[in-house]
Amino acid sequence: MNDAFRLTRVEKLIVQDKRLSFTLVSYVLVLVIYANLNVVQSPILGVAASSVFFLIDVVFLGYAFFEREEAFFRVMLGIIALVLVLGFFGWLAVIIYDLDIFRFTLVLFATATFSSFSSKMGRIRKWFQK
Amino acid sequence: MVSKVDGLRVLRFAEILCLALIALSFYLLYLSRSGEVHTVWEVLNPSFVPTLFITTFLLVALLLTSEKPAYKLLLIVAYSVLVHSFFSVVFPAGDASGQQIFLGRTRLVYDNAVVHGWFPWPEDTLQLRVFQSFRGENFQAGLSTVFARMFSVDVFWVHLFLVPVLWGVFTPVATYLVAFALARNDRVAALSALLFCAFPYSIYFGAISVPNSLGFIFFFYCLYFTLKDLDSKDSKNTFIMLAFSFFSFLSTYLTGIMSFSLVLFALAFKSYRSEKSSTFSSKISLVVSFVFVASILPLSVAYLRFLRPDTHAVFSLDKFRRLPSEEIVGLFLVGELINGFDLKTALLFVAGSTLAVFYMMYLLFNMKKKPNDTFRAQVFFLFGSFLLMLVDYRILKLFMVGVPFNEERLWVLRDFLAVPFASLVIFLVISRIATFLKARSASPVSLMDVRTLTKGSGIRAVGLFAAVNVLVALILSVWVISSVGVAYPHVASLQVTWYELEAAKFIDENSQERYVVIGDIWMTYAGEMIVGANNPGAYYFGEFNRTGYDLFVSMRENPSPELMLLAMNYTDTNVAYFVVTESRLGTEAFNGTVYRALQNGLNVFGPSGGFGDGKLYVFYYEK
Repeated sequence: MNDAFRLTRVEKLIVQDKRLSFTLVSYVLVLVIYANLNVVQSPILGVAASSVFFLIDVVFLGYAFFEREEAFFRVMLGIIALVLVLGFFGWLAVIIYDLDIFRFTLVLFATATFSSFSSKMGRIRKWFQK
Repeated sequence: MVSKVDGLRVLRFAEILCLALIALSFYLLYLSRSGEVHTVWEVLNPSFVPTLFITTFLLVALLLTSEKPAYKLLLIVAYSVLVHSFFSVVFPAGDASGQQIFLGRTRLVYDNAVVHGWFPWPEDTLQLRVFQSFRGENFQAGLSTVFARMFSVDVFWVHLFLVPVLWGVFTPVATYLVAFALARNDRVAALSALLFCAFPYSIYFGAISVPNSLGFIFFFYCLYFTLKDLDSKDSKNTFIMLAFSFFSFLSTYLTGIMSFSLVLFALAFKSYRSEKSSTFSSKISLVVSFVFVASILPLSVAYLRFLRPDTHAVFSLDKFRRLPSEEIVGLFLVGELINGFDLKTALLFVAGSTLAVFYMMYLLFNMKKKPNDTFRAQVFFLFGSFLLMLVDYRILKLFMVGVPFNEERLWVLRDFLAVPFASLVIFLVISRIATFLKARSASPVSLMDVRTLTKGSGIRAVGLFAAVNVLVALILSVWVISSVGVAYPHVASLQVTWYELEAAKFIDENSQERYVVIGDIWMTYAGEMIVGANNPGAYYFGEFNRTGYDLFVSMRENPSPELMLLAMNYTDTNVAYFVVTESRLGTEAFNGTVYRALQNGLNVFGPSGGFGDGKLYVFYYEK
């Protein structure tokens, strides 16, 4: 593999997503965020859970769409891609009906699924190209 | 001789110092936070500007070293967030402008005060519904609400910092990427990432949380992937370019249409380049494509009325008939800057883009001699795009009336296209100075190069260091700080105050029934930020509502239960509040209104001494 495409260890681990472990972690985090909103309402828990959710999905999206960029830019572009995806699903919810806590949770599930799926598609396409 | 390890230590020390200065600047900005303020300059801590200047100076010097681009960018990102956070940190609720109106819309979504969407089918027309759905406020409301729920914080804070943070983080990265695609030099690219802070319009739009600003950010990335697509056959690039264009459109149609125009122009340009020899007809078709893409924005503005009937933009020569010829010439040359801007401000607005346009022409002229230049396509495309902005701005400004937005917003796009060229020319000047001083030819502007200099060339090294790392950094710092100085207004009305926000919160927390509030525009802003715009359960007359304005004026003259009943009947509510503020009316008028309200039997709501040490009174009346 070319140096330019080399992933950092964390990136590699997440992108490999063995047995969909990171996708599942992402789903669990959505549930944690949902529970936090309904029960605890703690910004500390919210920020912590969201940060890990961000990390996983940024890596997924960064790998899926910006694989050829350098690591730093891959992460930055992954973040903006995640912002776009979150905004898109949020926008859809707003214009279709509403963005209450339940639909917000659906938005996060949709985002996590899209990110994981995009990453898998990237890997499959790469496998075919070999 | 300075060893490599020592050089690296100095570099790390400088970086840590720079970070510490940025942190200190944030702290000083926080100390300047005020609950009752007109402009940021009125209350800024006296140490803030000197600290910011030293930070900028150090940052520019660091950018000219051979440090890794990622480290440089991290420093620029932190600096950029700082420069764009003045309104959000200093004012109690950000700038009293569109961003507070949009927070009012977002609040409705966050509080689920009104169910949006397609079902039940709305009463207005289908095309208006489609138009409304694609308005940027929906996208921004969705994004802010999602973030607020994720972090479990109030949407007020997320909205306030959404654009300053996103702009601060992503704009330098986009600028870096575009400049790097053009110059393949990380110092030029890093300089470019910082220099975007020397364009006043970009600073202002990065400081207010409006959908337009989000649209600009996505436009910048669309431009980067468009540039990449010029030399690429990868369909993924095309997809990403189109995706950013779509999201730019979703944020605001101005940037969406412009990014779509650039995408079309890039496709035409690519097709032109793919032809083996450039014939006369292929050149003509490229020019025709340019004319077509230049007409997309004006035509879309003119035909917007099919989707939004209250838009009345038309092509017209009215301005040529109405305005004196010297004003027409002024508008053509420098646009809005002829209206009341002093020379220094006007210069700061145009300095970067003027520098860029001259350098673009120089490059284009030189390229005739070098037909195989690697970045020829990028330079041509960016010049074409820059020209597109100039042409579209002048069409909107001079040949159209009733344009539903401020045409000067195009300047942000123009400036973004200009900044890589401005950085290139500055870097060229730096290199020339270094060459002139006969220093080492390789990497002439690096601080790290000091380590390789021998004793004999010490004087020249000091000269080089002073000329390049000090003088250039000094000039650029002055430029950036001056631009920050003009980007944030020096004259403004009193911003929404802490006691107006407190009154709006108090009313909402202590009302059991549906209520209406009669107040001035600032109270409307404050109320909308707390309960949402046009919330049927907690109604504030919108900022453009004539009835609300008339009611307030009548109440100010004669505060009576009858008028409050009228407001309740008009809005189908059971309680009415009337808010009057001393700082808005003046002491005499305020005292008179309070006296008449008490005489007419209106009850004081909230603390008996009013809010804000008696500067604001709330009166109420129930059905």
